[in-house]
Amino acid sequence: MISVKNLKKQYKEAVVLDVETLDISTSECFGLVGNNGAGKTTLFRIMLDLVRPTDGTVIINGHQVNQDEEWKKFTGAYLDEHMLLAYLTPDEYFQTLRKIYGMSEADLEVHLGKFTELFNDEIRGKKKYIRDLSKGNLKKVGIAAALMGNPEVVFLDEPFENLDPSSQIRLKKLILKEKEDSRTTFLISSHDLNHVTEICDRIVLLEKGKIIRDLQEKEAMMSELEAYFTG
Amino acid sequence: MLLKVIIEKLAEGQDPLTVLNSYLIYFFLGEFMYRYFIQQLPVVELESLLHLPIGKSKIMHILLLRSFISPINVIALLLFLPFGVQVILPASDAVGLIGWIGSIVLTSWILHWFMLWFKQRFEDSTIGLLIVVAVLFLGSGSSYMGWFNLGEIMKPVFDLSISTPIPVIVLAILFVASYWLCFKYHFNNAYLEDLSSEENVRFTDQSIGFFSRFGLAGEMANLEWKLIIRHKKSRTYLMLSGFFLLYGLIFYTNPVYASDEGISTIFIFVGVFITGIFMIQYGQLFLSWNSGNFDFFLNRRGGVEELIRGKYLLFISVSVVCFLASVPYVYFGWQILAVHFATFLFNVGILVHAIIYLALWKPKPMDLNKGAMFNYEGVGAAQWLMVIPMMVLPYLIYLPFSFLVSDYAGLIALSVCGILGIIFFKPLAKLNVQRVMQNKYEISSSFRQEL
Repeated sequence: MISVKNLKKQYKEAVVLDVETLDISTSECFGLVGNNGAGKTTLFRIMLDLVRPTDGTVIINGHQVNQDEEWKKFTGAYLDEHMLLAYLTPDEYFQTLRKIYGMSEADLEVHLGKFTELFNDEIRGKKKYIRDLSKGNLKKVGIAAALMGNPEVVFLDEPFENLDPSSQIRLKKLILKEKEDSRTTFLISSHDLNHVTEICDRIVLLEKGKIIRDLQEKEAMMSELEAYFTG
Repeated sequence: MLLKVIIEKLAEGQDPLTVLNSYLIYFFLGEFMYRYFIQQLPVVELESLLHLPIGKSKIMHILLLRSFISPINVIALLLFLPFGVQVILPASDAVGLIGWIGSIVLTSWILHWFMLWFKQRFEDSTIGLLIVVAVLFLGSGSSYMGWFNLGEIMKPVFDLSISTPIPVIVLAILFVASYWLCFKYHFNNAYLEDLSSEENVRFTDQSIGFFSRFGLAGEMANLEWKLIIRHKKSRTYLMLSGFFLLYGLIFYTNPVYASDEGISTIFIFVGVFITGIFMIQYGQLFLSWNSGNFDFFLNRRGGVEELIRGKYLLFISVSVVCFLASVPYVYFGWQILAVHFATFLFNVGILVHAIIYLALWKPKPMDLNKGAMFNYEGVGAAQWLMVIPMMVLPYLIYLPFSFLVSDYAGLIALSVCGILGIIFFKPLAKLNVQRVMQNKYEISSSFRQEL
């Protein structure tokens, strides 16, 4: 599904990212962990062609990301607020996306129906611009938008950050269900080791731009990660 | 210096001081208006101060004083002091001058505090707007319609101020009182929810149906339109286009520029501005408007292309509206309409591409939610330099034909250029799209303020 080769990002002398190979298969839930400044967001941004790599390639489903734009059709992402149109209300924002993806009103209703629980009546039908929403609600809008248009791959940067405990649990359920129903591939970065080990089949640990652990066994994940982070 | 000359010219044989004193009220009416639109309390700073162990009244005093240090508050002084030195000093003495200039400046400063209170008290309410409109009408209409002469009512105050200190003392008391009013109001409302202006969605559907005929680009144009009307800064730009429609009144009514045959050269400039002010002003900051959400467009297939096409659509539509709104200028002669039509074609055919091309030179991020006036965020050297080609370009085409053949040949040349530009719209627009695509990493990372 996704293959990364010899990826490097360098700002002048400082190497912020250096990934030799990384292959992610279809319907995998891929977790990315690491302390601040490890290069998680940079890796996601390069994979989404938002930042130019110094060297190397990223291929999503046969398309090299900086060569064409076809892959954007089946890739959804929410990294930060720059990906929202903050001057719209959530409803207007979803409508805009509906038109961009060429979905019908009914499609949109079905899609947003999946988020009823997560939204908790605080998002839709409110006369409030996205820029005035709380951080948690902002995140919910972004995640719902990233999952629009039946993407095959979804990138989420810190999806659990700023969410209240119930929302975190609901989001976990939602991701697992989506993975089961549509075989969606998820790439999730997180600082919350509990959540990420619970939903992900595989966890990669970044340190100073390098992959230093690639954990695939669910049982051993938590203890290994805890051992690393306690130092 | 100039003021004296102007007054002597306009009202020959009359005492310039008497004339000025009777018109001062209009200056203050004007000041009232621009203060209403420009002046703002730096509320943002309140947020970072309120939780600190500083007395609330102290914070309020600081904030109010901060707002007081502003170029607006020296305009009156700069404007009238030279006149006072020239006219009053020889006729009266220094005390008279101080009295006169003191009462003018104090009036201006009273307006400052009054406006701070007024805007906070009636912010966004219909009553506030009605009062402003009423003031405007009273000011401009009353003496014109001959009900009563506002100038005559206020004139004695300023006349008196030269001979006695009473007006200055009264105004000084008023000044302190107005500060107190302002302070009390702000002090009692020093809570973030009262002062910060979280805008509610006032209209549910602000889309322009016409755009939806243009597919995705039309959708982008609609988005851009919403962006414009939902941010203070961009709204100001839109209002400016409205004001510039009146720009022609200054030039077309001026006998200096009227000639029996042909067209005054300056009219080309006026025409370019009237039909193109929106694209010139708003287009300068082409992508900076989207600096907060550029990743959104990058992340969609063809998103950036559609965004740019949407902006083109919007610029051209606004230009059409401006042209149509300027049709009544035909009252000043058919040649004005011809000038507007030629410059309109030139604007949508050529200038729009030129502006966008120049605006793509190192676009800078800007925060749309900050204040509007005097906020030069996003404006770099390129945005200032841009004015030059915009003024020069139309004349480069117009002048040769106008000198060699006739003024109308110049207009035809402008129109032909414009039409050619419209015919080759697609390749020209593509040029700009490619420029964005080539620089998309640099643009997006500067918008994210990473570097």
